[in-house]
Amino acid sequence: MSHRKSAVCILLACILIAIFGAQAKDAKNNAPSEKIPSGAKMFIGPIKDGFDTFLKDAIGKKKVPVELVASRDQADYEITGTAETQKAGAAKKIILGNWHSREEASITVSNIKSGEVVWAYSVHEEASTHGKRSSAEACAKHLKEAMESK
Amino acid sequence: MQSKRGLSALLAIALTVSFANYSTHAWSQAEDKSAQDEGKADAKATSNIKSAPSDEGQLATVNNAKIPAYAKIYIAPMLGGFENYIIAGLRSKKVPLTVVVDRSKAEYEISGVSESEKAGWAKMLFLGSQQSNEQASIKVSDLKSGAIIFGYSVHKGNSARGRQSAGEACAKHLKQVVID
Repeated sequence: MSHRKSAVCILLACILIAIFGAQAKDAKNNAPSEKIPSGAKMFIGPIKDGFDTFLKDAIGKKKVPVELVASRDQADYEITGTAETQKAGAAKKIILGNWHSREEASITVSNIKSGEVVWAYSVHEEASTHGKRSSAEACAKHLKEAMESK
Repeated sequence: MQSKRGLSALLAIALTVSFANYSTHAWSQAEDKSAQDEGKADAKATSNIKSAPSDEGQLATVNNAKIPAYAKIYIAPMLGGFENYIIAGLRSKKVPLTVVVDRSKAEYEISGVSESEKAGWAKMLFLGSQQSNEQASIKVSDLKSGAIIFGYSVHKGNSARGRQSAGEACAKHLKQVVID
């Protein structure tokens, strides 16, 4: 009987050691597993050349499941970023026969409470058919995909 | 008789605990060793990059320093909003780091400079290329110790995707010093 008791004690000790050992190992930095929930309140900060306006329009057009708010205080997430447009110059028009502009944009979605960046995307279009509208729609499309795929 | 049994049970538990401690210690040592081996392999890779023709970029690490996976990193604002391209690059290259927007919450900081030069008429006429010339240089510093643990610079004469390419190049090489 006492043998059984001692065996149980040993087993319990082993199990406890294994559990605490595993917990100690898991105490390191873990992968952030945050996803942007559907219907999240999102604020779009001012972006260079009024790209934020194009982005707001694109989010509506692509039916991204977020609620855009006008004030940062009401939002859960914030979109910040940068954008640049270069209109086709004379050389591009004459030599390359291309009238389309060159578009670059990069946006970052961060959680306002935790301060962590949860999603980011950059787009580059050498000859953008619809200028800023195209790059904003690319950003919105990929944001929607990211929200739906996670 | 019962006290003997109790003693033997205690002895067995003590043995088990000491064995478990020893195995944990040995395991951690083995992990350290494998991390060191990985570090050596990465150092080799680093030396390869250094010796490679520097068409794309230059990489430097200080004392083979490593960044732990999912460490909190802050990216300081850069000229032309290049920090956004680095964040997007970190995501697209699946670099295991947690980017934060508040510097006080971060363990590491990325800072740097970037420059973009659009193709002029001569480049278009003589080379038939409308791709831009991109340059960027970043450094990663440990905010606690203040030490710079990683540096990388990239130059692309004909960048297919402009600053996006430069941002992704920085992220790709930064991944080499992150312990996954």
